[in-house]
Amino acid sequence: MKRAILVFLLLVAAPAGVWASGLEFSVAPGAIDIGSTYNGTSLAIDGRVPEGSQVVARVVGAPQNLALKQKGKVFGLLWMNMNTLHFSGVPSVCLIDASAPLQTLGAAGAGLGLTGLTDKIGIEPSNADRSVLLPEFLRLKGHEGLYRETAGGVTLGQVQDGRQAFSLRLPIPSRLSPGSYAVEVYAVKDGAVVAQASRTVEARLTGAPAFLANLAFNHAAWYGVLASVIAILGGLAIGLVFQSKGAH
Amino acid sequence: MTIPMELYLPIAGNSVNIAAVFGLGGAVGLLSGIFGVGGGFLMTPLLIMMGIPPTVAAATDSNQIVGASTSGTLAHLRLGNVDVKMGLLLLIGGVLGGTGGVEVIKMLRAMGNADFLINITYVLMLGLVGGYMFVESLQSMRKAKAPAKDVPEKHVKSSAFGRLAASLPWQMDFKRSGVRMSPLLPLLLGVMVGVLSAIMGVGGGFIMVPVMVYLLRMPMHVVVGTSLFQILFTCINVTVMQSISNHTVDFVLALILLVGSSLGAQVGAKVGKKLHGDQLKILLASLVLVVMFKILYELIARPDVLLAYVGGH
Repeated sequence: MKRAILVFLLLVAAPAGVWASGLEFSVAPGAIDIGSTYNGTSLAIDGRVPEGSQVVARVVGAPQNLALKQKGKVFGLLWMNMNTLHFSGVPSVCLIDASAPLQTLGAAGAGLGLTGLTDKIGIEPSNADRSVLLPEFLRLKGHEGLYRETAGGVTLGQVQDGRQAFSLRLPIPSRLSPGSYAVEVYAVKDGAVVAQASRTVEARLTGAPAFLANLAFNHAAWYGVLASVIAILGGLAIGLVFQSKGAH
Repeated sequence: MTIPMELYLPIAGNSVNIAAVFGLGGAVGLLSGIFGVGGGFLMTPLLIMMGIPPTVAAATDSNQIVGASTSGTLAHLRLGNVDVKMGLLLLIGGVLGGTGGVEVIKMLRAMGNADFLINITYVLMLGLVGGYMFVESLQSMRKAKAPAKDVPEKHVKSSAFGRLAASLPWQMDFKRSGVRMSPLLPLLLGVMVGVLSAIMGVGGGFIMVPVMVYLLRMPMHVVVGTSLFQILFTCINVTVMQSISNHTVDFVLALILLVGSSLGAQVGAKVGKKLHGDQLKILLASLVLVVMFKILYELIARPDVLLAYVGGH
């Protein structure tokens, strides 16, 4: 959380010069409520960028550390989990969309994409083969729907007073953990970022999920006993229903 | 349809389709009721396929089995299929063995290659158990056909194991099972299964069932009821321990699975009653062999992704 705020501040403070040069946007909804019926949602991102630039939008989760096992072959035949690797500075989520494919946006495009993101990930032990591990890592996260890089979702609108309108509806996956997410928008022109801005969107548990999560994490022993008792009662109830049916 | 079919699970951190989870529970519950196995070795991989993290899938499955085996045990109690004395002895042995097995697995993990050993144990145990049961029940079905006998013959071979069993002290009758033996035998076998199931991370029903059939020589229908009775207590223990140490039990998910599987288990107990003991054995043997080949295939085929989260299966 603290780190997320720090990242956010750095992103906003560092390029303050270009930030003023005409990029503004809004995000709706301003917070994501994860209730019982939450099954993914989408963020509407609308704003204006300097005329003639392309737009890259990202939703990035807080960086975390991950322990992963690398799979390898033993005896030239059987696959198994081998050594443990420690990944650091891994965003929990990274969803990217743009008005044009990132490969066509030059150096800035490459830096804003998923491969640019993985370059910043640390891997211990340091002699690990990054060229093999990082693409595999992107596949793992991609399979979970947590990392995504697409293009064409951002539509560019009318130009007015040297500024161009854009809009995007970015789908958010159902497998979302509560926390702070940074929504970042970049204006890219001639292979360089000419303006950028960032906002945070909070995802929080509400209703039944919030109640259950609190019980499970803060009253774990009670939760375990309760889960067992409810299961036993459920099983008994169903057993009894069947008995009465069989008797008549 | 206006009824929301998607439900968000805070522990699993994902949303699932209620109907799909319910159906999955029903299918596994049916097998559980027929064969007296918890079904963990089928349910856990299927939950992972639905997007539930592996650790949550395994722990939640134990919680679900608590309910399913309550319902299954009740159904079998009514049919007179539970040997409580035998079940308790196996349970005590299982708890002792399980505690020892956890220490063994800790040691293996410290040495490094635990996962590999677990998978190899799976393949060997499943292959051995499934293969033996399959061949044995096939033979006894052929025999039963030839002289048109209803009850398969049950003569105790004077094997080394038989002589050892007969030499143990405190021989007593187990009326439900119709066998006479020393209580030490089920206790020791319980320890053995407990160690294996702790290493393999499962309830152990699919090892316990063949042990009861072939080593304790109990009739198949009593085996199923007694196995469910024993699994019930094992899984209560796992549910509480997992909730406390890993926060991986999602009881909303477990509850939906439970309603499906309890209904399935009731139907399964009735279906099982209609099937002949040998038919039951050969079906369970086929199921065990299918799972064995699946694990073997996963060991040999190149994985889709060459990285895995720590703590998964």
